[in-house]
Amino acid sequence: MGFNQINSIPVLRMMFLIFLLASLQHSLAQKVPISFDAYHGYTATTKYLNDVAKAYPDITELLEIGRSTMDRPIHVLILTNKKTGTTLDAHVTLSNMRKENVQNVPKMKKHQGKPGQWISGSTHGNEYTGTEVCLYIIDKLIRGYNNNGEITTLLDKKVFYICPMVNPDGVYNSVELGIPQRYNSMKKDDDDDGRINEDGPDDINGDGIITQFRYKDTKGRYIIDDVDSRLMVRLGRNEETTSERWSVINEDIDNDSDGERGEDPEAGIDLNRNFPEVWFTDDGMQGGSGSYPTSAPETRALAEFFTNHTNILMAQNFHTSGGFTYRPLGTSPHEKLHPKDVAVYDMIMGKKYLELINEEVPQAWIYPDSLDVYKEALKKVTKNKYAIQRGYELPRGWRVSYNESDDRRYSFGMASDWMYMQYGVYATTTELWNPEKDLPDFPKLEDKDRRLQRSRALLKYQDDHYDGKYFINWKAFKHPELGEGEIGGWLPQYRRNNAFPGEPLLSVCEKHWQFELFRATLLPEVEISDVDVKVLYTTNKAQSATIQSEGDPVKVKKGKSIGKYRIVEITAKINNAGALATHIGRGSSLAGNRPDVVWLLGESNNIEFLQGTPYQKIGVLEGNKKIPGYKARPEKQATVASAPSPNYSRYRRFRRVSYDQPGKKQTGSTRTVKWLVAVEGTPDLKVVVASQKGGTKVKKISIK
Amino acid sequence: MKTLKTISSITGIFLLGFLFLLNSGKLSAQDKLQTSPGGYHGENDFIISWKRYYTYPEWTNMMKDIQKKYPHLAKIESIGKTRMGREQYLMTITAQSTGKHIDKPAMWVDGAIHGNEVNGVTSSLYLIWYLLTRYDYDSYVHELVNNTTFYILPGLNVDAIASYVEFPNTANNPREPYRPEDNDGDGLYDEDQTEDVDGDGELSTMYIEDPKGQYKLSPDKRRFVRISDPLEDGVRYRMIGSEGFDNDGDGLINEDDIGGPDPNRNFPYGWNLQAGNPYPMSELCTRNVFEFQLAHPNIFVGFHYHNTGRLIMYQTPPDIRKNLTPEQTKEQEKQVEERLIEMRKTNKYAQLVSRRVAPEYQHDMNVQMDIVTTGARILKNYKPVLSGLSGQAPASTYYMLGAYSYLIELWGMPSFDADEDGDGRVSDEEYLKWIDLELTGEGWITPHAVKHPDLGEIWIGGTPKKHMRRTPPARYIEMEAEKNSKFVLYCASQFPKAEIAEVTVLPATSDLHWIEVIVKNDRVYPTFSDRSLKLGLAVKDQLILESSGNVTQLELIKEYNLFEPTKLGTRFKPISGKTTEFRLKGKETVVFRGLIRLDGSKGWIKVSVSSKNGGTDSKKVNISVGS
Repeated sequence: MGFNQINSIPVLRMMFLIFLLASLQHSLAQKVPISFDAYHGYTATTKYLNDVAKAYPDITELLEIGRSTMDRPIHVLILTNKKTGTTLDAHVTLSNMRKENVQNVPKMKKHQGKPGQWISGSTHGNEYTGTEVCLYIIDKLIRGYNNNGEITTLLDKKVFYICPMVNPDGVYNSVELGIPQRYNSMKKDDDDDGRINEDGPDDINGDGIITQFRYKDTKGRYIIDDVDSRLMVRLGRNEETTSERWSVINEDIDNDSDGERGEDPEAGIDLNRNFPEVWFTDDGMQGGSGSYPTSAPETRALAEFFTNHTNILMAQNFHTSGGFTYRPLGTSPHEKLHPKDVAVYDMIMGKKYLELINEEVPQAWIYPDSLDVYKEALKKVTKNKYAIQRGYELPRGWRVSYNESDDRRYSFGMASDWMYMQYGVYATTTELWNPEKDLPDFPKLEDKDRRLQRSRALLKYQDDHYDGKYFINWKAFKHPELGEGEIGGWLPQYRRNNAFPGEPLLSVCEKHWQFELFRATLLPEVEISDVDVKVLYTTNKAQSATIQSEGDPVKVKKGKSIGKYRIVEITAKINNAGALATHIGRGSSLAGNRPDVVWLLGESNNIEFLQGTPYQKIGVLEGNKKIPGYKARPEKQATVASAPSPNYSRYRRFRRVSYDQPGKKQTGSTRTVKWLVAVEGTPDLKVVVASQKGGTKVKKISIK
Repeated sequence: MKTLKTISSITGIFLLGFLFLLNSGKLSAQDKLQTSPGGYHGENDFIISWKRYYTYPEWTNMMKDIQKKYPHLAKIESIGKTRMGREQYLMTITAQSTGKHIDKPAMWVDGAIHGNEVNGVTSSLYLIWYLLTRYDYDSYVHELVNNTTFYILPGLNVDAIASYVEFPNTANNPREPYRPEDNDGDGLYDEDQTEDVDGDGELSTMYIEDPKGQYKLSPDKRRFVRISDPLEDGVRYRMIGSEGFDNDGDGLINEDDIGGPDPNRNFPYGWNLQAGNPYPMSELCTRNVFEFQLAHPNIFVGFHYHNTGRLIMYQTPPDIRKNLTPEQTKEQEKQVEERLIEMRKTNKYAQLVSRRVAPEYQHDMNVQMDIVTTGARILKNYKPVLSGLSGQAPASTYYMLGAYSYLIELWGMPSFDADEDGDGRVSDEEYLKWIDLELTGEGWITPHAVKHPDLGEIWIGGTPKKHMRRTPPARYIEMEAEKNSKFVLYCASQFPKAEIAEVTVLPATSDLHWIEVIVKNDRVYPTFSDRSLKLGLAVKDQLILESSGNVTQLELIKEYNLFEPTKLGTRFKPISGKTTEFRLKGKETVVFRGLIRLDGSKGWIKVSVSSKNGGTDSKKVNISVGS
């Protein structure tokens, strides 16, 4: 165990207490109260989102990004100060436009000019703990704004896109109806009988709950647990038993009289296999789910949202369960990640995550300067080549789903891999809820029969802490098709996967709010730190002039000018005040991404560019946080191959030039951008820096 | 010893199979049947002029009007709306009297996935018109419309199509769906589009006087030509590029034109981010198409019309040649070339490519070579070439739907008559002469001086007009469309047809009889493709045996081969049980053999073949044992 970890535990507990107290204080002023004593499900979540949007119009906006098969909205709540922020298109005036006047480009919203973080829950409908965490985070943000300095700054400068239910149909069926549904809903005919979704589970005893039906069956694969007779224990394959055998099925009848029960339910496809990252197998056959990548309306809504919100740099997809986080990749081996991103993921985010869930941080992350030593040491103990390349095995709590030891992909078409690989987003998939850790006073389990012990302990836990109301005791029932048996078992909502409401759920929420808050503070933030304006030459009636600035002399010929006419040198200093760079390691080269740009803008008739193109591509600005364990390859300090023409006057300007910055390539987190312009009158000029993921900033200049 | 006599009185019974309704005479006869090539084939029953291009409202109204005239053959629907809210109209053509469209094997045809390739619209419309107007007059068309479904989407990318026809455009734009895209990475989307600077309705090229320029005016003052001698005197010009203004003031013109990713890189199969961004099926116009195709598993062949280059680009199974040295590859190619030279001695259209496919795909490969050989014959100066993957529509048609697919690049340079010196290329002079002679001078923009707000005095011109290079001048629309329609119809005529050619009952021994069934498919296409089999989409063909009550079918075991009864050799498939599943390939004859026991002296058997795409056929044979 590392030193940091030992120290961090009491600190964490303190923090937790402080937050609990803080939240108590604010609950009085809460405009939209929320409690975590019960799952919200689809209906209450939707109501909550609408209420929040209404009560906090200055910092929230509710967006419907699509509709599910059953016509339920897929909501994204935008959280940001709506008064702050700007986008480039608001500053550029376009002229002489095509007569056709096609209106295909929507005006950008202010929040698109701020670094963004995506947080979603319930991609799998039966994993609604993620929805609860999303709501908890929303609650923290809206109540923290103007009350907590850190949160206020965050919402002023950054934007959160929170999608509590990617799969609203699945949540509705799982929570409201008590039919656990991992998949989305689809109108389809699973059993090819010409009817759609006609045979799902049923509440056959009419108690309003769909639980389970058990019946004696000599071929059954269950026996009654000898410790807790309410518990059904599943036998292993070919396992012998002297106890009476039972079968356990969902509470269900054969609705369409085809001899099968539950063979045509509403459940459609696994949305987390429907994304376009490695959806096909290597030999060109289908690997992911659905008829093609993004075939599901839910997946497509996300794809479209990410396409139109290139400001997103950070993303979390909440799933359950296990109490750990998957960082990419699961669809491909490790080499596809940029080494810098591996370091950002593991050394920065992973380290924080492990501390928050109170698990051991690998030594190599604590001493990243000694990575080479760890690499050597690993060669002797592991066959995992990826671990050797990195210098550490990934711990239980922070892992990849790719099977590194067998070099085999876990699955196809997964969301966070797609977000990372195709949109350049630091995406993760967190599997919430580990009862053994998240339930206070949960008994310590021995390794033998761990599953069974866990089941017994969970059942007992709900007896002790929830008055046994999550379990319905078995009651005799005559099944119309299967005869005598008993109906009972866990309420489906609590059977597995999800954090128990109340304190356990709150503790899960708090940890993951802390993690997302931490990640939000890593986001980049471009700034125009300084603009220097130097008037080099003034005349009232310019005929011609030669200006000697840096580099080649510039000849100015100005025939018709009658106004006050000056040659001005403008120097803007741009920097990234955020922790991380304005793109992930591989980000700026992706199809929808671009390097950061700086524009010098004026009304088109009163500015003449002599040196420096109207906009300059300044590359990717590094963040101010040192990335542990990552050494950038030394940049070649050569001048850009296609430097712009030094005499960039209007007469010669309509030719292909490079918009990269002239001169030596600038690296690091700051840039100096220069222009030499001729201006008439006293125009207002603007310097605009537009970074896709680092934000857009503007600074006005007046020339006197 | 009893003598056995077999009466193989074969009666052709035409069952449910729509394929044969026509021949059986159950369908109303073709009253207006025209057999003379010099006669009237219905051209004036619905008049469309093929001598011009139509705007989106015009051609969609044409579709609606022609559907109203032929409601028993045509159905029109919108498969969805595009980004700018236009409907994508699709025509389903089949004789409704012979069955539902979804139950017949179908031909898919789409045009102009690239908005600037509007020739695909006219060629698709022509096919619609050809099928509908000729149905009553032309027995070939009649039979195809009875037996086949045609799903025809004349305009796929209708937003760009509408613009291309109605507004001044270069041959290259607008091409993509109207998803905003930042082509130049300046942070703005579609902000610097082309403009008609001189207002003449055409987009040409801009030149500016420049002492260091590389161009001069040609002596006839119709073109700008490159100067080869650096010391040459005279006025020099520099090429600026295509007509437009600098809308965003960044110093470049037309650097961020309207539209996003290439729609023909947007389909799922072989999709890659760089070419097909932002994600597969991201565009409404492509997604609507693929959703329709998925909902119509009867689609058997797909045609995709593009411009330009006179190519038949066909999808084939993947090449499995690996680790060949360059020498080995060269050697293989040489062998193919030599074989091709040999083949072309008897057929100048013969096709052969150097591609090795896995055995389970060999039939698809053979079928495609066969089809494109005939395609080259029908389309004359079109060249068959292999088509690519990378998110192209035809790749998904073949690899995901299991349907054979072809991408046709319509039209091309008029080299067949313009290349006067026969050097294989059309020089500018030859092209201008072609315009003067064939188009009586129409089609060229002569350089002229214009005032430009960003550039000052400039020159515009020296290029052909719209509908010259990529899309044909209007007068050639019909020429291209007619032969292309014929190729599509030829392919439809080669859809599989499962037939029972012969059923023979022969004495074996005592009360045992051999039955031998010959099933054939004379058509080029198999009843399902190799790929659809691999995809698990194929429905196997079935041979069904029925009989009178006194006939028992025996299991065919090896020993019975001793009683080898026919000249057809031992290559047969055993008939096992009531239903035998099999696959009927293209141009294939399959021999089945079974053994029955006849209890008594008289009985009958009925053999039927049932194929999803090949239709149904059956024959009944009476058996009687004489003395």
